[in-house]
Amino acid sequence: MLWQQLANGIAIGSVYALISLGLTMVYGILRILHVAHAGIYALGAYVGLFSFRLIGNFWLSLIVGMAGAAIAGYFVERLLYTPLLHLPRIAPLIVSIGLFTALEEAFRIVAGPHTLAYNARVGLGDLSIGSFHLTETQILILLVTLAILIFLWAFLTKTRTGLAMRACAQDPETTSSFGVNVSAIIAVNFLIGSAMAGAAGVLIGVYDNQVWPTMGSIPAYKALAIVVLGGLGNIPGTVLASIVVGLAETFFIGVLAIPFPRDAVAFVAMILVLMFKPYGLLGKA
Amino acid sequence: MPLLGITALSKEFGGLRALDRVSFTAEEGEILGIIGPNGAGKTTLFNLISGIYPPSGGEIIFQGKSILRLKPYQISHLGIGRTFQIVRPFQNLDVETNVLVAYGHRFYPSLWKSTGPFRQPGNLREVQTLIERTGLRSYAKHLAKNLPLGFKKRLEIARALALQPHLLLLDEPSAGLRFEESAQLMELIRQVCDQGIGVLLIEHNMHVVMDLCKRIVVLDHGSKIAEGSPEEIRSNSLVIQAYLGKEA
Amino acid sequence: MISGYLVTILITIVIYAMLAHSLNIITGHAGQISLGHAAFFGIGAYTSAMLYTEAGFPFWTSVPLAAVVAGIVGALLGVPCLRVRDDFLAITTMGINFVVEAIFLYIPFFGGAMGIGGINLPKWFGREMTKPEYFFLILVVFVFFLLLDRQLGRSWIGLAWASIREDEQAAGAMGVDVVRFKVLAFILGSAIAGLAGGFYAHFLTFIMPQNFGFGQSIVILSMVVFGGIGTRWGPIAGAIILGVLPEISRPIMEYRTLIYGVLLLGMMRFQPGGLLGPESILSKTFQRTIYRLVSPE
Repeated sequence: MLWQQLANGIAIGSVYALISLGLTMVYGILRILHVAHAGIYALGAYVGLFSFRLIGNFWLSLIVGMAGAAIAGYFVERLLYTPLLHLPRIAPLIVSIGLFTALEEAFRIVAGPHTLAYNARVGLGDLSIGSFHLTETQILILLVTLAILIFLWAFLTKTRTGLAMRACAQDPETTSSFGVNVSAIIAVNFLIGSAMAGAAGVLIGVYDNQVWPTMGSIPAYKALAIVVLGGLGNIPGTVLASIVVGLAETFFIGVLAIPFPRDAVAFVAMILVLMFKPYGLLGKA
Repeated sequence: MPLLGITALSKEFGGLRALDRVSFTAEEGEILGIIGPNGAGKTTLFNLISGIYPPSGGEIIFQGKSILRLKPYQISHLGIGRTFQIVRPFQNLDVETNVLVAYGHRFYPSLWKSTGPFRQPGNLREVQTLIERTGLRSYAKHLAKNLPLGFKKRLEIARALALQPHLLLLDEPSAGLRFEESAQLMELIRQVCDQGIGVLLIEHNMHVVMDLCKRIVVLDHGSKIAEGSPEEIRSNSLVIQAYLGKEA
Repeated sequence: MISGYLVTILITIVIYAMLAHSLNIITGHAGQISLGHAAFFGIGAYTSAMLYTEAGFPFWTSVPLAAVVAGIVGALLGVPCLRVRDDFLAITTMGINFVVEAIFLYIPFFGGAMGIGGINLPKWFGREMTKPEYFFLILVVFVFFLLLDRQLGRSWIGLAWASIREDEQAAGAMGVDVVRFKVLAFILGSAIAGLAGGFYAHFLTFIMPQNFGFGQSIVILSMVVFGGIGTRWGPIAGAIILGVLPEISRPIMEYRTLIYGVLLLGMMRFQPGGLLGPESILSKTFQRTIYRLVSPE
């Protein structure tokens, strides 16, 4: 029972990590609260679903969903955020909220208000050891997240672009004086972050077997709470905070059966942590 | 009793020592020069004195009282005014209003007084005096963002003077100015000092420091490496080394 | 005789104008982003509704108390939020909105998803107020707030807010107690939103948690941004235009949320000062026209 809840919590936490990482990376480099990231997440789910209907292969649809999200993220950065960087920080935030609202409505108008089924055959099979049970989609989530996290870690620590990206998050001006193309780094940042959000959208679409226009609403603010919990801009902190929130939700609601809205857990956790550690779980002053 | 007494003041940023047990004193009516290579901890020192962040250790005594636990606005109320290395006037307010913000420090503590209108003849008269003293009269109604750099720096000094300070912290006032502009600004600083206000002056231009200050403190890598008259500093081997580079 | 439909629209507009105006105190004057303004609108509406239906308070005390309670909650929530980094404020206010909506929805005391009904228009001269009379009542209150706003703009408080909006750290170094004045703006904005909530509850006669969700906060923010953040008349213009448009046109009603989203995005991207901002096309054209009329030729 305990192990089962643990596995459930980690699976949910993994998806949170995929969404929140892009958000924290964008914050780290541009200091923008990218609310519309959750719109990119839902877009990834829709693109994945429609491509699955066309080609019928889940893995291909996952890649197409990620690519669609990445391209959308790139355009958001080029057309909306970069031109506004000289304005007070409230300006890109409001643009982001506007974009998110418009995206949700666009999904409703284009794909209809109903939930659509994402009934994909992944071909992994369930796993049962005694009473411990992992569904096929849980295994899928854990595997994909693990693969993406390993890729991200390798990219950030082993490649020149990754190192430049981390340097940029520390101090963009100095980094650009070393001849690094900051503009290209920002673009790569958005491509990777958005692709991860797209992957999260496809995974949740398959996990819940549904895709719907406002599926990004709750992640939009929950991911922000997680990012704050982890210390805005802190990548390991964000992964840790995602798992913590996933587990907390599963235990408080699933095990202790407290009559409390599941989606408010992240915010209560955030407010509690902010009181004692104002810069997040792993954040520094 | 010195105006400002600093003892063993230290500041760490994530394990990095920006300031390491620095001690010195400053007197009323004195211009104390603070020099040192880039990254020596000069601006960190100002940020500690003006309360922008708390020190990791040490003590700051102003007029006989510790100001360690005070917030920036409380420190400014005690009579410590400052300017910023990269000028920070209130860009979208005009010169007069910029100075009024600091002049209001006597009204802000009382909620009732804060509800009163700020453009009163009495207030404006005093602010205009300051504006004239700092040579900003023809710019009084201009938005701060439209001023040339030299006048933005004057505005920052006018704003700090509106706090009726006993101590002024000036962070590189002559940086980026042409020679005449810089000379005029130094004349202004000298006048301020003649009224009995103590001045801490961070400055890169050695001619300016040697000319203006009777006493100089030299920082390098967060530590005080020398203190003394311009002549003593000029012949100090540690100072020469710090400026010529450590590689030698 | 004004038609009932028109009065309904007029009342809605004044309530939205009051909300946009109150958010403008926080976001426009003091420069603090709040993404959860509907929470205080809701706290006011629920306070007034509970006092009226459960405790038997008359309208004339329940609505002012709604403002007081919203102001107090604003102070309690504002103090910790305003001490942290500015980015956290956006997220925490958004969080407050979701938590407040969840409390109304999940705690049976507040009527749950069914909300609270049986709230009536106020009584005076021994009878219930008519809707046109109610409209004039809240219009008078709103005009009072506008006059107050003008007074504040000319006061040291207004000057302190302007300095915080421009540069928080420099303001602190110039003697402005930044936290205190930010909290003051937050309390004032929350209290006026709470009062608007009280008026709204007595006008709608029943309220539900969904009236006060994050979406509502975005609607209020859209009005402020559209009209011009920090201007006195901009938020009102925003409330009138964005409040009337969906009422007079079915297609606009249908795509209301999309339009709000695109407006927020488009305004900030191409006209960040808003419709009545100092650098907007409209203001410039207006100034040019005046100049031409006044100039000697």
